[in-house]
Amino acid sequence: MRLIELQGINKQYYLGQTPMTALSDITISFDKGEFTAVLGPSGSGKTTLLNLIGTIDEPSSGKILINGDDVSKMTDNQKSEYRNNRIGFIFQNFNLIPVLNAVENVMLPLQIRNEKTQVAREKAMERLNQVGLEHLALNRPDMMSGGQRQRVAIARALVTDPEVVIADEPTANLDLATSISIMEIMQKLNRTEGATFLFSTHDQRLLDRMNRLVRLEDGRIADAPEN
Amino acid sequence: MRLRIKGEKMNQLIHFLKLAFRNILKSRRRTFVTLMAVGFGFASIALFQGYIHSIYEGLRASAIHGSGIGHLTLYAKGWEAHGKSDPEAYMITGEDIEKITRLARQNTHVTLVSPRLSISGLVSNGKTSTIFIASGVIPDHEKKIKGEFYDYQPINGKPLDSADEASVEMADGLAGQLELFAGQDGVVMGATLSGQMNAMDIHINGTYNTGIADTNDKFIKVPFSFAQSFYDTKKADSIVLLLDHWQNTDLVREQLSYTLSSSNLSVEFKTWKELSLFYKSVRNMFDMIFLFIFTIVFIIVIMSTTNTMGMAVIERTREIGTLRALGLKRRGISFLFAAEGGLLGLGGCLFGLCLHTLVWAVIRYTEPSYTPPGNSSPVPLTVDFLPQSLAVLILFMTGLALLSAILPARRAARQNVVQSLTHV
Repeated sequence: MRLIELQGINKQYYLGQTPMTALSDITISFDKGEFTAVLGPSGSGKTTLLNLIGTIDEPSSGKILINGDDVSKMTDNQKSEYRNNRIGFIFQNFNLIPVLNAVENVMLPLQIRNEKTQVAREKAMERLNQVGLEHLALNRPDMMSGGQRQRVAIARALVTDPEVVIADEPTANLDLATSISIMEIMQKLNRTEGATFLFSTHDQRLLDRMNRLVRLEDGRIADAPEN
Repeated sequence: MRLRIKGEKMNQLIHFLKLAFRNILKSRRRTFVTLMAVGFGFASIALFQGYIHSIYEGLRASAIHGSGIGHLTLYAKGWEAHGKSDPEAYMITGEDIEKITRLARQNTHVTLVSPRLSISGLVSNGKTSTIFIASGVIPDHEKKIKGEFYDYQPINGKPLDSADEASVEMADGLAGQLELFAGQDGVVMGATLSGQMNAMDIHINGTYNTGIADTNDKFIKVPFSFAQSFYDTKKADSIVLLLDHWQNTDLVREQLSYTLSSSNLSVEFKTWKELSLFYKSVRNMFDMIFLFIFTIVFIIVIMSTTNTMGMAVIERTREIGTLRALGLKRRGISFLFAAEGGLLGLGGCLFGLCLHTLVWAVIRYTEPSYTPPGNSSPVPLTVDFLPQSLAVLILFMTGLALLSAILPARRAARQNVVQSLTHV
């Protein structure tokens, strides 16, 4: 079942006065429940592609459909609601809010959507339990290791039961053992929750865990086998 | 249903206020500097406000009671414009004095009605003569009008005596010039209203200090009946009204205007504020100083809050990107930073309130005094504690800090999400 469709996507941006092409004529689709990695060297357009799917960036031309909704026609507020309800983000640098503890960080997307505190806390604790961090629920990010922080970020990304989880280099700042454990957690959640996971990564050691690999080169799709 | 939605909104509001509060505590040094700036600004405004309030209270009481002009003064219509050139034609007749007194007393706010007649001429000790200005007052009324001020202006000798028409109180500067003392006699001379020369004996019951150098060598206080005899008239040039509260002045003025005009009495009113030029000029001066201090504090609060929040926006750019990626709308980001500004303002005000209360208590305990220009003796420095004004000031300065944070907050909200997330 098609979840995400990109049709003729181009993305240009300016570096000073110089126009740069980040993505060129990208047409690709992703099915529900995919566990896909977007590969490519630095500057190939991986992050830009994920940002466009995540609705935090806009294409210069082309159309992006998520579940049939044309996200390029949405207003900024609609996109915010869309992200909050349907998309989960996992960042390379974890991006946890330093003044909030683990459970409060995980509760954050639910509180943005006005969920009751008690309900949000219960859901957040459940997700922390899934990533094995319920015992660190009251710890702030500065009291946790990189791997623990990324697990909190995974719990935060999944707490709203999103259709798509976008992870931009989620293991780039982690050692191999931690990276594998993080990938295992995400694989398990992909299987049990049925959420679509889209990664960008350089890490060749993690690729054998993927269902599908999409290769980008110079902003174009070099290889994208159907799932 | 609506109540439930409101409850959820409140839930979110509390959550983001909590987040704002924790962010404030995170940058302790910057928060401390902002709290100090707002707090000291608040305390200085509040203390000055309390100080000038006590000054205004004192000046008001001094004008109404100390100088004896009461709350309202009535004149015959045209007195202000023509009274000096043709006083007799614009004085209040004896019959009208009675009518006005009767009608004014019917007003529940009026506590005293007292006719006055000012006279002037020459006063002599038998050897030397000099000019004088005298106020003809009803002795028993005078004590009531003066109230607490009666004791503030001690009389060397005895006060006016209603049983003795020739008894007077003479300003000690004038008495000194004429080498007259309490218990001695003198003579006053002048023209009656019809232009005839008149001379009358006076008996100096007591001397007093008017407190103002310009009047202390000219003033005499005489019984109202003496003044009428001196001018050979049954008229008064004014009628002073004392009210139950100064705040009723305008109300009574309006009510009596209607009552007296309905009875064909053509009069004009002057309030204590209109008659007391000193009150007006001092108030104008202090209002200007207050505005000056207020403007400085206003700028300090705006600049320190804007600076603090501006720094916070730069430092937390990636956090802003994260919150936006998680679905927080632009107005949510604006609210978050504006709330931080508001909380900083509130915290500063609470610190300022403590500082103000401490200084206020020290002033009350130590009772310092100072000698204002033109005064011959020191006056106590008093600062009034004004809960209502403090509450308004807290609201105002918190609102100001919140408004000051809006500009950086809007800048934060407008940031590009992708650029924010990659900010280093």
